[in-house]
Amino acid sequence: MEKVSFVLASDALEKLHAVGLMASVAAMSQMDVRVFVTMNAVTAFRKETIEKKSFRVEGEVGRRLLSKNAPMFYDLLSQGKMMGSLKVFACGMALDLLEEGLDHFHPVFDEVLGVAGFFQHAEGGQILFV
Amino acid sequence: MADDAGMKVDEVVDGRGLFCPGPLMELIKSIQLKPVGTVLAVLSTDEGSAKDIPAWIQKVGQEYIKTDKKDGYWEVIVKKIK
Repeated sequence: MEKVSFVLASDALEKLHAVGLMASVAAMSQMDVRVFVTMNAVTAFRKETIEKKSFRVEGEVGRRLLSKNAPMFYDLLSQGKMMGSLKVFACGMALDLLEEGLDHFHPVFDEVLGVAGFFQHAEGGQILFV
Repeated sequence: MADDAGMKVDEVVDGRGLFCPGPLMELIKSIQLKPVGTVLAVLSTDEGSAKDIPAWIQKVGQEYIKTDKKDGYWEVIVKKIK
């Protein structure tokens, strides 16, 4: 099975959405997909952020994603998990810095991982950094 | 239902009004539940999906029949062969 992994580091809604799109469609296309959410991207998955839809938007497409009620990145990732081989990991370092556990975040996460653990999962496939 | 070429369509997946990749996701949900031999017509107002769906069909080894531009939407015909 082809494998592709994403390192999602940005909290910009447009980049979160792009990874949600690519990862979910890849998973539904019989690819093995891994998403490692790190740095500020982790904050976009907070339950509070999602509830208030208080995402950082960079431009017009991001604003329209919100105003047109498009499926959000966490919905796309959840659908990809249901329909294919997709795992989503939260960066342990980012959670340590935020002093928060996975219970503060959307349930799309499979587990907390460090970089070495992620590389083990990503071994043999492409890694894309967003 | 039969399309313009007379092919019998067993299932219509109406993804009109959905953002990409919504129509593709609707097709995937539907095709998983249907028996081999089912012919599905996916309706999409999203131009990207009209091109994505044939690519996905080829990738997963199902049979792509054709795409027709209708009045304000695309119709993609696919046959489940495995």
